[in-house]
Amino acid sequence: MPSDTVPVAFDVYRYQPGRDAAPRYQRYTLDLSPHTPVLTGLLRIRDEVDPSLGLRYSCRSAICGSCAMRINSKSRLACETPVGEELQRHGRIVVEPMANQPVVRDLVVDQAPFWQEYRGIEPHLRVDPRRPMPEGKPNPMTPAEVDRFHDTPRCIACAACYSACPAVADDPAFPGPMALAKLYRFVVDPRDAARQDRLVRIQTEGLWLCLRCHLCTEACPKDVRPSERIRDLKEMAIAAQGATEHGSRHAVGFKTNLRDAGVLNEMKLVRQTYGLLGMLPQLPHGLKIWRKKPEVARRPHPIEGREELEGIYRALDSEDGK
Amino acid sequence: MERHDVVVVGAGLAGQRAALAAVEAGLDVGVISKLHPLRSHSGAAQGGINAAISADDSVDAHIYDTVKGSDYLGDQDAIEYFCREAGPTVVEMEHFGTIFTRAPDGSLAQRPFGGAGFPRTVYAADRTGLALLQGLWERLGGERFTLYEEWELARVLTRDGRAQGVVALDRRTGELHGVAAKATVIATGGAGRVYGRTTNAHSCTGDGVAAAYRAGAFLKDMEFVQFHPTALLEGGILVTEGARGEGGILKNASGERFMSRYAPKVLELASRDVVARAIMTEIQQGRGFQGPYGPYVHLELMHLGREKIESRLQEICDLCRSFAGIDPVTQPIPIAPGQHYMMGGVGTNIQGETNVPGLFAAGEAACVSIHGANRLGGNSLMETLVFGKSAGVAAAAYAARAAPASVTAADVDPVAASYRAWFDRKDGEDPSTLRAELQQTMDRHVNIFRTATDLAEGLQKVRAIRERYAKVRVVDPSKVFNLNLADAIETGHLIDLAEVIIVGALARTESRGAHYRTDYPKRDDAQWMKHTLAQSTPSGPALSYAPVGFTRWEPKERVY
Repeated sequence: MPSDTVPVAFDVYRYQPGRDAAPRYQRYTLDLSPHTPVLTGLLRIRDEVDPSLGLRYSCRSAICGSCAMRINSKSRLACETPVGEELQRHGRIVVEPMANQPVVRDLVVDQAPFWQEYRGIEPHLRVDPRRPMPEGKPNPMTPAEVDRFHDTPRCIACAACYSACPAVADDPAFPGPMALAKLYRFVVDPRDAARQDRLVRIQTEGLWLCLRCHLCTEACPKDVRPSERIRDLKEMAIAAQGATEHGSRHAVGFKTNLRDAGVLNEMKLVRQTYGLLGMLPQLPHGLKIWRKKPEVARRPHPIEGREELEGIYRALDSEDGK
Repeated sequence: MERHDVVVVGAGLAGQRAALAAVEAGLDVGVISKLHPLRSHSGAAQGGINAAISADDSVDAHIYDTVKGSDYLGDQDAIEYFCREAGPTVVEMEHFGTIFTRAPDGSLAQRPFGGAGFPRTVYAADRTGLALLQGLWERLGGERFTLYEEWELARVLTRDGRAQGVVALDRRTGELHGVAAKATVIATGGAGRVYGRTTNAHSCTGDGVAAAYRAGAFLKDMEFVQFHPTALLEGGILVTEGARGEGGILKNASGERFMSRYAPKVLELASRDVVARAIMTEIQQGRGFQGPYGPYVHLELMHLGREKIESRLQEICDLCRSFAGIDPVTQPIPIAPGQHYMMGGVGTNIQGETNVPGLFAAGEAACVSIHGANRLGGNSLMETLVFGKSAGVAAAAYAARAAPASVTAADVDPVAASYRAWFDRKDGEDPSTLRAELQQTMDRHVNIFRTATDLAEGLQKVRAIRERYAKVRVVDPSKVFNLNLADAIETGHLIDLAEVIIVGALARTESRGAHYRTDYPKRDDAQWMKHTLAQSTPSGPALSYAPVGFTRWEPKERVY
């Protein structure tokens, strides 16, 4: 065995609701070589120091999705996080349960809400009975069609994205990055007949609650890039149905609004998003802003070189059309 | 007491497929799993799933390769059934939604695999198990059956000479529950954690196999343990056979492509037992590399080029980068064999029936047997689906005509009493200490090369561990997610299975497939062309033997 070990201190969240008055952090120190995964450290704690530590784990090779937890505040898989890098970056290793899910014990969280969101997007092929699957043969699917899934089939449902997502924390109506990436996987599936229905439904069922912060993409251990697929879903939803929701109207309004003058007309954007009547409830808020920043009410002067902007829009539109 | 027509224990591919079959038969089904079904070890299978679906291939060729791969210990009638079902099964999984890798013409791509005379392995990059697990889980849906998530199997209940359900521990509450059923299906996967160096997940503790054994079921061919040739040196994480299927080569410390001396025709694509022994021979004869984690050889992919490696072997790239700190695009991968698969398991026929009425088994937990003495890569994913379905169909048919289960909540009490003793004990050993010693014993004494002396010593050690286990102690008093208790339950299962493996290996004085006795290096068809059956008795496993099923293929010497 290699002798290049260093003392590694783990500060581990310990809490059992109903038994413990409050969570506490327990320190365990082990000699480990720097490339040792955090999970290996935690399992050694269980085997050698404290068998009462609660956590989920199974494959230890980043494919079962069991051991997602927060390590120095980042949601990630413990099995593929080396202790050395954490020590270098943070000087210590704080291990906590995932966020946005109630704690069951120590590092174990109740994933029922997460699984419920996954189930909620109807994650199964919906087939049109008028177009049955080929009898006794696989559906043809070209490599290009397979590429359209991007990396969504790599999702291991670890929920690191769900834990990292501020929109999940903020609004229970948001299905979360994993469920939406999963939805994308079914929307682009050439075997699925419910594409239109799925896109129309998700417009009102949380799609536009995404804050576009990309923390899910940063957290994902399998490079599924949920935020990019959510962006794709938004574009596809608008293309399928038009902008029907505040979120999609805001996006479309932003685009046309900016095109007109090269600079945002914020009053107009509010109208584009909410409609004239819908602006009424926004009035007190608008007045408050107007008092501090009266220029918001003025119609902005078009910027110079708008022809160039037109060119950019044309290029983008033709890109979309591809 | 929960009650169902059929209870399935284990929710990997075999368990889910059995559950789907029973649900489709219109029955009330309960599924017990100690992990969320999507976290099952089926999802870790990488390389692919075999089916002779190409116009140039044939079912007969698949049968022949499997028979030969099994070193003629596989039952040929079962293998014929299996290979014929393989094609329709792949199509079914594709229709269920599995996203397979495609050829340019839109058909299913197939890659070469070890021991196969044709590129017959259908795949989804190098995460085929995950793709199938997702496809099946999404098809099965959560609404049509009762899922007991994170319930740990404690016991198979028998009464009136038949299995009548199980006792299981709800990890979330610490409560023991009886689940009565007219038919019980064991699909808990393998027991790789009998070993320390294994590609298997921590959850692979053979719970269902051990519980079936204790309930009177025969365990078949348990001495046949597959060691995967290419496990990452440190920790034993799997590197798919697909890496060699895509053109990866093995080299020793002198840079020699040594497989030419062991399998001149097919080199790295010989069957797994052959390649694993070749690597161990290189290492034992001093031609391996030496490193801080032990001796090893190199698996080289560099010549395949970045594009192919990163698209076809994406997960392997990530695994090597995360877990070994090397980039397979530019560096060789340090590998050595590691325990990978149990050819043995609960003895069943093609319908998944065991010798205990009402008890069925499928997948790695079962032994039909189609793998015989050595399993071919790509055949186990297919086995889970083909025999998961047949076991589910048979269990449903049995349940439809069986009398209601007569077990009651009182049947849970003996289990509860034995666990209480673990908590109440004032001294005694932690289960993880015993498990670690058991794993070291198996790694050392029951590995790729075996001898009578070594095995006998191993058996002695395992029996000593069993005696200490009688005084095992659970120190964590909590009821909620008590892994200390789970360790105690699982370690008991592992000890039982280790003993059966060694007793079978010691008795079998020949070398066949994965069972290699250096003191008996030849296959001995006259004496040993037969399955080992182990039955639990108070004094340990009692062995008997059963004939191998033959149809069309005469045993020949196995050359690759």
